[in-house]
Amino acid sequence: MKHIFWLITMMVLGTRALCAQAAEVDKMKADLIGQSMGGREKCWNFKSIEQSKELAIKEKTENPQKRVYKIALQLQAAKATGKYAAKARVEYVKTPTGWKIKHVGLLSLTKAE
Amino acid sequence: MKAKSVGAVLLLTTLVHWGCKTPKQPALGEPLAELTLEQRAQFYEGKKVFQRVFEPKDGLGPLFNGNSCAECHEAPVVGGVGDEVEVHATRFIGPNGCDPLFHQGGPVIQQKATPLLQAKGVDKEPVPPGATAQAHRSSPPLFGFGLVDAIPEAALLSHEDPNDANGDGIGGRANRTIDGRVGRFGRKAAVATLFDFNAGAFPQEMGVTTPLSPVEETINGAPVQPDTDPAPDPEITVEEIEKVTAFVRFLAPPPPQVLTNSQDQYLAKRGQELFGYLKCASCHCPKMQTGPNVIRALDRKTVALYSDLLLHDMGPGLADICLEQAHPSEFRTEMLMGLRFREKFLHDGSARTVAEAIERHDGEAQKSRDGYKALSNEDKKALLKFLGTI
Repeated sequence: MKHIFWLITMMVLGTRALCAQAAEVDKMKADLIGQSMGGREKCWNFKSIEQSKELAIKEKTENPQKRVYKIALQLQAAKATGKYAAKARVEYVKTPTGWKIKHVGLLSLTKAE
Repeated sequence: MKAKSVGAVLLLTTLVHWGCKTPKQPALGEPLAELTLEQRAQFYEGKKVFQRVFEPKDGLGPLFNGNSCAECHEAPVVGGVGDEVEVHATRFIGPNGCDPLFHQGGPVIQQKATPLLQAKGVDKEPVPPGATAQAHRSSPPLFGFGLVDAIPEAALLSHEDPNDANGDGIGGRANRTIDGRVGRFGRKAAVATLFDFNAGAFPQEMGVTTPLSPVEETINGAPVQPDTDPAPDPEITVEEIEKVTAFVRFLAPPPPQVLTNSQDQYLAKRGQELFGYLKCASCHCPKMQTGPNVIRALDRKTVALYSDLLLHDMGPGLADICLEQAHPSEFRTEMLMGLRFREKFLHDGSARTVAEAIERHDGEAQKSRDGYKALSNEDKKALLKFLGTI
């Protein structure tokens, strides 16, 4: 009986953590719109949520004023322009109205298709 | 009373004259006319960053091509041309695929290394193993690039004729950046905006990291050893990229060449007619218009760029690398604005004279080139005289 209680508790907590991360990922996809990373030929300007696929948070560090994420994602604007695997550093800063993206830094970019 | 009236008329006349006067054409290297005092200050602040010479301790390298923006854009004034020729490499996957080889250090292959990296036995980045071709690129003059940046996408697209629907033998299509925007900067039009170009030039040309590119350029994909890079990343701020962009954005186009000799004037006029007759102007579109812009100096201005900013097939002889949608033989029509200040010609600086550059045109430009070759010596001289005024 005790084991079942702990198992259910663990499952609930696990599910809540997954949901929280999914919400964080969705919020980040929305926050990325209008941001640019990289430069020259190796530049990505985020236009829509649909361009960012399979976004995964790989690392997160936080202090009261700043949050820094390292993420991996697939990028595709149109079929003709190809698909790219990217790693990026997303820096948020705390403002009076909430957390806002300050910079998105391109860490790596590889043409996938 | 009469004196007062005369005074009022004189004052009014002066004000009307002052108000209607065309702004003075800026000299080469000066900022655009009609800038506000604040914008002029931004121009000069940006010029300082443009001329800043980086050293390894403040961010240069470990791999790099130049130690300042002005090293490659220096003649005859800051913002002009340089004598450097750099190396680019990509992988063409026919019939339409192109891998810019970002993961192997492409497409810009740095030709220099700092002493700390040289001590590890690396004096430049090798051409990536996955490359199918490499290309040489000269540095173009940047005069008037802010006006080019302000031309609406729709204006570029209105010149497209990808399937040569009008049957003149000249196509033309816009390149697209990897994120799907219309490209206009770079010899293959693979960069959408001036800011994007400058944001990439710091890491790729000088090895200076930015918040948008916070890691150093790799050696064919392998990270440089940390002990070769003494400066903490990022090595400059986004505000500094914006300052450099303001300098280039506000850099005036070259002033028109004034010919004082009537014989020269006649020749140049004849040459201009031939430029149209030979259909050079079909690609080297003499003028385009900027769109509505909050900056008065860029707002609905005519820019004599002599390019349609589109990709055209230049034939197998000039073919080098692919880049995004551009095939190896496709190049964006070179802007001729500032041509008279160049010392080397074509995208790779391999032509010593304008005449040689014309003679090496091929592909969609074949008919125009043949037309040029068939001209009398006097007409060739006239065409070259005209081109020497741009």
